[in-house]
Amino acid sequence: MLSAQERAHIAQVWDLIAGHEAPFGAELLLRFPGVWAVLACKGHPPHSPPAPVGLRMLEAVGVAVRHVDNLRAALSPLADLHAHVLRVDPTNFPLLIQCFQVVLASHLQDEFTVEMQAAWDKFLTGIAVVLTEKYR
Amino acid sequence: MVLFTAEEKAAVTSLWGKVNVEEAGGEVLGRLLVVYPWTQRFFDSFGNLSSPSAIMGNPKVKAHGKKVLTSFGDAIKNMDNLKGAFAKLSELHCDKLHVDPENFRLLGNVMVIVLASHFGRDFTPDVQAAWQKLVAGVANALAHKYH
Repeated sequence: MLSAQERAHIAQVWDLIAGHEAPFGAELLLRFPGVWAVLACKGHPPHSPPAPVGLRMLEAVGVAVRHVDNLRAALSPLADLHAHVLRVDPTNFPLLIQCFQVVLASHLQDEFTVEMQAAWDKFLTGIAVVLTEKYR
Repeated sequence: MVLFTAEEKAAVTSLWGKVNVEEAGGEVLGRLLVVYPWTQRFFDSFGNLSSPSAIMGNPKVKAHGKKVLTSFGDAIKNMDNLKGAFAKLSELHCDKLHVDPENFRLLGNVMVIVLASHFGRDFTPDVQAAWQKLVAGVANALAHKYH
């Protein structure tokens, strides 16, 4: 459960990302070493993730931001996709969450306060839980 | 055994030279205690940990953070033999402190985020990768003597 303060931090940071989802997603995938394993399953050649993948991840985070009170319902189609089609190993999520926060920290620097980090770590972990909930 | 390339070692040492160990230590430990509040269980004697600002301003957190990061400095001087360098600390954390090794991984990740916030653009994907490898190596070395 996110407190009012945590929601404010989520929204505040998202305002800075909105409009820049594509470059943010691209940088996220550059930093994430597991991406080749993730994308190999989909038949993509390694070393060239389609730009849309990073963008789609960020758009999904945007959906989550707008439905922070009801992640399960809002992300249900994505949860189905991950469980039945993508079947990305759940252990990839913590590292992806780490890389997401590294992108935030390196761009926001001093503005990425401890309270923001706490809110985003909790929020992204919540998203990962929902996305892997239907795996079995 | 973890082997670091010359590039990875350079990425680590060049950044480390610019880190203020005292300030960064307090920030890293403080953020660990705020973001993962259950880690506070090991610091009952530290006094006021009741809010993020209390934690970040707590002098015992700062002092202990400095100690932890100073240890990291020793790791950086011994990147080719992390297990040897951390053998004694590993025994201490297992036998005396009873710290779950998962905490070392959490601390390492927080440290990488703090470095990213300090160094901004300079904290490139390659630099991040070198540091993630180092913090994972340190976490494993600290867990090595657990039984």
